Amino acid sequence: MIEIESLYKNYGTFAAVRGLSFAVRPGEVLGLVGPNGAGKTSTLRCLAGIIPASGGMVRIAGHDVVADPVAAKRSLAFFPDEPRLFEYLTVRQHLNFVARLYGVADHEALAQPLLEELEIAEKADELPGALSRGMKQKLAIACGLLHSPKVMFFDEPLTGLDPLGIRRMKDSILKRARDGAAIVLSSHLLHLLQEVCSHVLILKKGEKIADGTLAEVAARFSNGETGVGLEEIFIRATGGSA
Amino acid sequence: MLSALLYLQLTSLKNVVLTRLRRLRQPKYFFGAIVGAAYFWFFFFRPIGVGARAAQFGQAAGGLPATDFAEMAAALGALAMLAYATLAWVLPTEKPGLPFSEAEAAFLFPAPLSRRKLIHFKLLSSQSRILFTSLFFTLLTKRFGSLGGSAVTHAMGWWVILSVLSLHAAGAVLTLTRLMEGGVSVRRRRGAVLGLLALAVGVTVAWVWQDLRAPTDADMAGFNPLRSYVLTVLNGGAIDWLLWPCKLVLGPFLAKDMAGFLSALGPALLILGAHYFWVMRMNVAFEEASLGVAEKRGATIAAWRAGKRLPRRTPGKGRRPPFALAGPGRAELALLWKNLLAAPGWLNPRLFVVVAGLIVAGCLILEGQPEWRAMLRLVGIGAGVAGAYILLLGPQLARQDLRGDLPNIDILKTYPLAGWQVVLGGLLAPTAILSGLLWLALLAGGLAVHLRGGPAAGALGTQLTAWVCLVLIAPPLVALQLLVPNAATVLFPGWFQSGAARGGGIDVMGQRLIFMFGQLFVLLLAMLPAGLAALVLILAFKWLIGTAAAVVLAAVAVLVILVGELWCGVWLIGVRFEKIDLSAELRA
Repeated sequence: MIEIESLYKNYGTFAAVRGLSFAVRPGEVLGLVGPNGAGKTSTLRCLAGIIPASGGMVRIAGHDVVADPVAAKRSLAFFPDEPRLFEYLTVRQHLNFVARLYGVADHEALAQPLLEELEIAEKADELPGALSRGMKQKLAIACGLLHSPKVMFFDEPLTGLDPLGIRRMKDSILKRARDGAAIVLSSHLLHLLQEVCSHVLILKKGEKIADGTLAEVAARFSNGETGVGLEEIFIRATGGSA
Repeated sequence: MLSALLYLQLTSLKNVVLTRLRRLRQPKYFFGAIVGAAYFWFFFFRPIGVGARAAQFGQAAGGLPATDFAEMAAALGALAMLAYATLAWVLPTEKPGLPFSEAEAAFLFPAPLSRRKLIHFKLLSSQSRILFTSLFFTLLTKRFGSLGGSAVTHAMGWWVILSVLSLHAAGAVLTLTRLMEGGVSVRRRRGAVLGLLALAVGVTVAWVWQDLRAPTDADMAGFNPLRSYVLTVLNGGAIDWLLWPCKLVLGPFLAKDMAGFLSALGPALLILGAHYFWVMRMNVAFEEASLGVAEKRGATIAAWRAGKRLPRRTPGKGRRPPFALAGPGRAELALLWKNLLAAPGWLNPRLFVVVAGLIVAGCLILEGQPEWRAMLRLVGIGAGVAGAYILLLGPQLARQDLRGDLPNIDILKTYPLAGWQVVLGGLLAPTAILSGLLWLALLAGGLAVHLRGGPAAGALGTQLTAWVCLVLIAPPLVALQLLVPNAATVLFPGWFQSGAARGGGIDVMGQRLIFMFGQLFVLLLAMLPAGLAALVLILAFKWLIGTAAAVVLAAVAVLVILVGELWCGVWLIGVRFEKIDLSAELRA
């Protein structure tokens, strides 16, 4: 579903991502972890077609992001760390707008259960200015989920959510994965990634340090110890520094 | 403790200057600074160096002897000061606070500082702004040679005026806070202030009626008799008493020489001192209100830096959409729909219909009254000027396109749309709004020309043909104009961002000038092939098919060329939009 080969991203002479390759199959949730400045956000933005890659190949649901960006984007949803909303559109109007962009027929029937699932149905006629940070995050998620994407990219999806919101978000991600979506999410909250992700990829200075299932990566850095958590794995893998 | 506050002010000022100097290493700011400095020199410094020319300019501007000019400036300036003071007492609807920034409030309010010291800090911090504004205004007013005085007396005069106004605003804020804490409602306060003002105006009108005389036709015959009459009214009766302290404050600025300045300085400083005494005597808990002001100010600055509109005063319910948007269909229309929702609510089709009706009714009324018929000429000129403004300045103001969406460009780029679709969708809303306004101007102009008649207006058929052609050409012309700032947004996002988000400065002013001239240049370039084609077609075919038909043919050609240029522009900007990497652009 998501195939990346030798991905490079440079900002002038600075290489943010260096030769990254990995794949995410339907039903898998890949956790992208790494210290600050490791290239996580740049990687996610290249995968979502927001910024052009400097080299390599990215295929989303069989479509090359460079050669056929419109088809690739039709299959994906990107959730930024900060909800980006149009301040003059209400919650319902946001969904109406997104429905037209993705050509979602009968969007009202789809939107209502989504709003209820995310617990913002009561705020359907409110502008973003009247919503809390968490509510805005939920609206951004509702907009992303409306067209039932096969591929999802979450950049720090739990920022600003209360404990119940975090629980619901984790359940929502797992539900979409069970329904066959391929998901990549980046977060610094390692214990939460441990609960949600089937696979993990550790980045450092734009390069892949390790990837595989949680068990595989744990085995590589556990030095024979048992029950080593993702946090300990992360510190050992990155050498405790960026 | 004041030394710490002084340190904050001076260090901040130094850092601002250093930051602006350092950014000149970037070409976009360097070239902006050169253009800005050139503009400054041409418009402000040049007249100062040429005294005779400056005086000549002043005479030409006012057309008045020096004494009359000063008298008029004193009366009108005092009236403006009175209006400012009145607004300071009338406008606030909730507890006004002294305007502290969020950082100032966060650091200073919990600090061991007395309220008096906080007020002193506020007054001190306003002085840097007042000094800069005084210098700027000195350059501006020095162009009016009739004022007399010197650069020194003008600068100090401006300092006195601005300091008094600043102190008066602070005093009003503190007094209003105390009144509100004492239970005085907004309605009662406004009633009292406006009642006093109405009393003064009423007494003056009664005085004019009884002791002076009502204006006659002779008073209205021209500028000088009208000025003379207005000055007589303003310099007598109760209004004169109200304006008297304001005139004292204006005295040093309007002094003809140093001796006059020194004699006027005393009373002005007395008023300044009285204001200072008033402000310092007000022991009011302004902190809570100031925190509210600081938060609002912070939100406004954040919105401005993000290139967004100012936050709404009461975030809440949305507006009714401009039209129903079904799921399937052209995605570009979704952007039109969204951007029309972003436009001010009053800019709706109903307004255009009402204004069109008023234009038609107004023109018919003017045409029906022989003594007013001459006004149709003014309507025609006004429509022409308005049309030119809409076409040239409208694209800078109607920003419901890529410029408004730049902060959300990450999200725009995840949509399954080709670049040209995003650009085209973005252009639709401002094109629709500006075309509507331009059509209103064309309606007014066309009606004025037709109803006024005369040989220059031509036959009805010719008028109608020309009018329809202009109506058809207006939307692509507007869209073409809009293409320029949108192209600038994706071609030079760093420049665009710097204009919107990185504060002022002579370099940023220069950048804006470069963009303005660039837009005019591109418009001329785009119009050149269309204009040449129209000229050739009219000259070649008017003998064969008549002037009206040749004009139609030329208009069709112009339309085709403009649409073609537009399409090429949309395509090219779309390609660039697909490749844009804002993070890389803004790092550069």
